[in-house]
Amino acid sequence: MEAGSLLLQLLVNGLINGSHYALLGIGFGFIFAPTKITHFAYGPVYAIGAYATWAAATMLALPLALAIPLGIVVCALAGVASYLFLYRAFVERGSTPLVILIASLGLFIVLENLIGIVFGTDTKVVPDAPSNVILLGPIVFTSLQAAQVVCLGLVSAALYAFLAFTRYGKAVMAMTDNLEMARIVGIDTARVSLVAFAIGSAISAVPAILILLKEGATPHMGFTAVFMGFVAMIIGGIGSLRGAVLGGLALGIIENAGMWKIPTEWQSVIAFVALFLVLVFKPTGLFGTKARR
Amino acid sequence: MDYLLHILVMVTLFVILATSFNLLIGFSGLFALSHAAFFGIGAYVTAILATKYGVAFPLTLFASVGFTAIIGMLVALPALRIGGDYLVIVTLALQVIVITVILNWNSVTGGTDGIRGIPHIAIFGSNLDSAAKMLPLSALVSAISVWIAWRLAHSPFGRSLRAMRENEAATQAVGKDVVAMKVQVFAFSAGLAAVAGSLFAHYISFVSAESFPFDLTIYMLAMVILGGTGNLAGSVLGAVLLVALPELLKFVALPPDVADKLRNVLYGLTLILILRARPQGLLPERASASAAAGETVPLAAVPIGLAPGTAGQVSITGRTLSKSFGGIAAVRNFDIELRRGEIVGLIGPNGAGKTTAFNLLTGFLKPDNGGVNFGSRLLTRLKPHQIVRAGVARSFQDLKLFRNMTALENVLVALPRQSGENLLYAYFAPWKVAREEKENIGKALAILRFVKLGEKAGERAGNLAYAEQKLLVIARLLATGAEVLLFDEPLSGLDPNTLEEIFPVVRELARQGKTICIIEHNLDVIRGLCNRVVFLDEGTKIAEGTPDALIHDPQLAARYFK
Amino acid sequence: MSQSFGLNEANGKSNDSPTHLAAAGLSAGYGDEPVVRGIDLAIRKGEVLLVLGHNGAGKTTLMRALFGLLRPTQGKVTYLGADITGRTPAQNVRDGIAFVPQGHGIFPTLRVQTNLELGAFVADKHLTGERLATVYELFPILKERADQIGGTLSGGQQQMLAIGMALMHAPQVLLLDEPSIGLAPNLVDRVMQSVRIINQRFGTTIVMVEQSVKYGLPIADRVAVLKTGRKIYDGDPAPLHDRVELMKLY
Repeated sequence: MEAGSLLLQLLVNGLINGSHYALLGIGFGFIFAPTKITHFAYGPVYAIGAYATWAAATMLALPLALAIPLGIVVCALAGVASYLFLYRAFVERGSTPLVILIASLGLFIVLENLIGIVFGTDTKVVPDAPSNVILLGPIVFTSLQAAQVVCLGLVSAALYAFLAFTRYGKAVMAMTDNLEMARIVGIDTARVSLVAFAIGSAISAVPAILILLKEGATPHMGFTAVFMGFVAMIIGGIGSLRGAVLGGLALGIIENAGMWKIPTEWQSVIAFVALFLVLVFKPTGLFGTKARR
Repeated sequence: MDYLLHILVMVTLFVILATSFNLLIGFSGLFALSHAAFFGIGAYVTAILATKYGVAFPLTLFASVGFTAIIGMLVALPALRIGGDYLVIVTLALQVIVITVILNWNSVTGGTDGIRGIPHIAIFGSNLDSAAKMLPLSALVSAISVWIAWRLAHSPFGRSLRAMRENEAATQAVGKDVVAMKVQVFAFSAGLAAVAGSLFAHYISFVSAESFPFDLTIYMLAMVILGGTGNLAGSVLGAVLLVALPELLKFVALPPDVADKLRNVLYGLTLILILRARPQGLLPERASASAAAGETVPLAAVPIGLAPGTAGQVSITGRTLSKSFGGIAAVRNFDIELRRGEIVGLIGPNGAGKTTAFNLLTGFLKPDNGGVNFGSRLLTRLKPHQIVRAGVARSFQDLKLFRNMTALENVLVALPRQSGENLLYAYFAPWKVAREEKENIGKALAILRFVKLGEKAGERAGNLAYAEQKLLVIARLLATGAEVLLFDEPLSGLDPNTLEEIFPVVRELARQGKTICIIEHNLDVIRGLCNRVVFLDEGTKIAEGTPDALIHDPQLAARYFK
Repeated sequence: MSQSFGLNEANGKSNDSPTHLAAAGLSAGYGDEPVVRGIDLAIRKGEVLLVLGHNGAGKTTLMRALFGLLRPTQGKVTYLGADITGRTPAQNVRDGIAFVPQGHGIFPTLRVQTNLELGAFVADKHLTGERLATVYELFPILKERADQIGGTLSGGQQQMLAIGMALMHAPQVLLLDEPSIGLAPNLVDRVMQSVRIINQRFGTTIVMVEQSVKYGLPIADRVAVLKTGRKIYDGDPAPLHDRVELMKLY
């Protein structure tokens, strides 16, 4: 392959991987920004989305058109439950963010291992996952990879509309901007937090299911998800939907562009170098406007 | 039997890991999630040196400690400037990078196969190839490691760490270099984790990436939280409980991989339940023993004296200081000159820029324009803690006490030039540190009595009444030994009787040659204390003169009292 | 007592006006130590009550406890005779209490108009337009800056925005925590005038905290002075105009 088309292919790959990271970043950020909760259990909740879809598609033998929405709903419910049964009590008691973070690490390890106990540690695949190879000039990708990019577009458009036009969307923006003022103008912050957990978790189910269809699900899949989501959010700048999207895409493109000269297995290291550079030189994130509080 | 001994060896290793982790998260408030990575780095350095280069224990251990400590410092650096959640993500990234490197750098780390055949420790002609033979050594090394952590935590350095955890700005304001402290504690914590790693590699004689997963950090976290943050004995207890108790699961008939997972579930639940029911842990942090020791210590003279005969000398000068925030000028072309032995009042309406002026003088803000001279030194380029050490200290309107430390500790932290803050002395000349600590407790108690808080020395600062907290702020500022004392509303909220008690204190300070500037709204205070008053409004100096002249100036009265 | 006392009884504030919002034996604080201790305070309908006190006297804590941002450790809060102790701010806002916190009580990254709309979060949607018009009439500068980001306004404009946000749900009681803080004197005058106008035009009961005497006193109907968490004066503002009297109190 000549250098030009190789670079083009790497860019497309970057866009594809970046869409995955962006979806993770949006979901994580959608919970973090309004609630200020570092929801580490985002990882295993994401995995629950994949496992629920797998169970519906294979054990219940439902068609994917049903199994996927079911997986998304289960994932959203798991997110809501984690707020209701874990975080809410700490928030009401006025616990420090650190205590809540530690609690979320506890939930992380509980859920991750429960998944392992219930489903076993082997990789779960959906046998007849649809995936065709698409050739576009010199560029090669699969239909699932294309779906990833399309999903990012759809999810971010839907989220934009939600934030701009709905009452809860406004409440989320208000809480993101200033949690205390949100309470002062009369927003029921506990209820909006529930909504944020539901939506953020539902969003995470989308990349989870795509990974399930592409590579299969494992109990440990959640760690990478919460980590990359967190990184995409930080690189993009906290509290900005656009930032999370661009941060995720930037992460994917940096990783793949780096592969032009650097072997594949070092891909993740490239991303972390990028993270370090962003933290050192622009701690508010590449696209963020506001410093962290 | 051998199985039981194996558990005991693992207990000794996890005691090292939990106590060293507690140094970071409990004592320093630095929430790092890379402890499994430090453990792993230590183990791999030993494994590589022992298998490829034939290096033997204890050289392997020293190399592991040194290398890991350096990694600990490096990874901490970008996060130190910003802190909080960023430290979480940076340390998490280290965990991921370490695993990536282990899995991919095949030629050195053996990739997914790991490294086998690491020689057991041979010592005094005996090959420690069983748990029974390993246990005495690992117990000894574990005890030494806990002692190292204990020395650090309970030295004056550790006290400054806890102060930093309570309030970073206030710790800088008493002259501590918080960045240097963070780097050191990271190095120690990572180095101690590497001790456990090195022993682990020799003992198991096999390492692979799977031995150092992220979950292991949560496991150690559960030990620290269960035992109690800020209490090393708690971490020892936490390690013992969480290593030993889950082994009981072995007696239930479960497939081994389910048992492992169940154990992890139990750690997670322990973590959540302890946070809900007893967030301070089984053994909560205790106030330092020094308060009790204080009673037997001879009382020192209040260490405020300066070279006499310097009264009236110019001590600090601010020239054409300017600072704006988002285009709005908070302070404009502000000139101020303070002299020894003089008490200057800085007054003006709310929002006039008084506190900003203090921030500019003490380095908490960098001026857009202008400079600050102290004697022959230009302060403008120095960091806040350097300025305090040079002799210019300030208090905060919102007090910023170290609320979870005793009144005595609040004052002790602020004493300058403590050799115990240098870890070399803490470890290699403990007698010197102990002697000096005794003197310092005497000084601190004297300062507390000076502000009429002698009775409250052992009381938690957060539990003091508001007026007492304000007195403690004065005591802490005095303890820095600074020549220039800038008080931001030190007396507001105090009743006239208390004021009558404090006035002589402040006057006495001035008489002994301190340079004093006070932000104050209460005119009684201004009249009762100040030799000179500077009136600031909208960031500019409007007037300067004796209190009476200013208070009776009709124009100023209109501005201020309207 | 009922809410039927009309909105426009602006000048009917005599001593027999009914109690609107009250604290009885109220203690509140952070951690172990109460910041306000056993405060009794009855705010009458339609009056401007000025709460004075130094830093640390407990003024802000009192306001936060009245509004429900802070749960009292002892005592109770009543609103029109009903016990509202321990209710959330969301419930209190719905019942007609508004709070303007100290400093910049706005959403700094959102547009001015979005800020105002969020102020009306609990109000009926079809009334928002009308109230927006009222606030813009009161603070014309906010209309000019409607599309600007809140945090880029000047200090005085931000304070007007904060008060405007509180007015968006047409509160019966307005709690203001040091509206003068960080403002130049001429701006303080503007803000105080607005407070006066709000009180007179809408009959809104106003509780205003101030640290310095000069700003609030001219518009106050009654003054309470706090000191180290306790109420040490409650009554007519007139005697306090005398600086000597005031200094005795402080």
